[in-house]
Amino acid sequence: MSNREKYSPGAAAGAEARRDGDRWTLVLVRELRHPPEKVWQALTEPEQLREWAPFDADRNLDTAGTVKLSTVGTPIPQVSETNIKRAEAPRLLEYNWGGNDIRWELEPLANGTRLTLWHNIGRKFIAMGAAGWHICFDVLDRFLEGHPIGRIVAGDALKFGGWQRLHAEYARQFDIEAIDHTPQPE
Amino acid sequence: MKIKITKAYVNDQEKALRFYTDVLGFVKKADFSQGPFRWLTVASAEEPDGIELQLALNDNPAAATYQQAMFDQGQPAAMFYVDDVQREYDRMKPMGAEFTMPPTKVTGSTIAMLNDTCGNLIQIVTLDRWQS
Repeated sequence: MSNREKYSPGAAAGAEARRDGDRWTLVLVRELRHPPEKVWQALTEPEQLREWAPFDADRNLDTAGTVKLSTVGTPIPQVSETNIKRAEAPRLLEYNWGGNDIRWELEPLANGTRLTLWHNIGRKFIAMGAAGWHICFDVLDRFLEGHPIGRIVAGDALKFGGWQRLHAEYARQFDIEAIDHTPQPE
Repeated sequence: MKIKITKAYVNDQEKALRFYTDVLGFVKKADFSQGPFRWLTVASAEEPDGIELQLALNDNPAAATYQQAMFDQGQPAAMFYVDDVQREYDRMKPMGAEFTMPPTKVTGSTIAMLNDTCGNLIQIVTLDRWQS
């Protein structure tokens, strides 16, 4: 069995849904056993994003300015032209994806990095986003360890049993109703 | 090979979801999002496992042009069967549904047409009962 087949996500943890009026923000925290410089590269370099992220980028995200982000795994890649608002290596990265703001913060720890993601995804999709990012972070962790398993996003994530469980767990944690997204049997 | 899904382009998926569920009476079937992408489908409340209608965002120029042209020519983007067009008309009219054609007898059926508020005309149809 390959490492990808063996992979199973742990329990839902490290996520929070914050509300400010109608605006909801998903906050995810993950500690990684790698220095911020290394994590920064994985967040910004297109060939490293391809290993774990739910989008492809047409240039390095490490400088402010426009960039095109394309969804992965959708029937047709949805390309959004966006703007890197802040890129302060190796601690802060801010941009917008499909109308939602994304902010990454990297804090150095004695033996690694505390990575925090803020994503102002709407309430409807916030548990879905938490489950998706959870899996992306697991894949990122394995990639940084030198044991890449290939990204698990979009349809790949939905077909994968752990996603349904994570989605339900995060929905419960956030106290929102989870819609049943079980893929239809063929 | 099966026909499981069909598609209507809409200019606003959230508004479409409200119209297709609250006014027409369909039920939401699938709703996924990935960044800018949203896969949204509804199904008939009478046939929840029946054919799904995808409410696809018309965010490419060809879709928007096609949608506008069909609308301008009075062509429905989709047709739905109902037991009684007049009854559906009487039900939806007070909800603010904008009918561009009231219930009208045509060959073999009665039809009506309404605006889905997202760039489309929708036709509802009741077939005449054929006596054998």
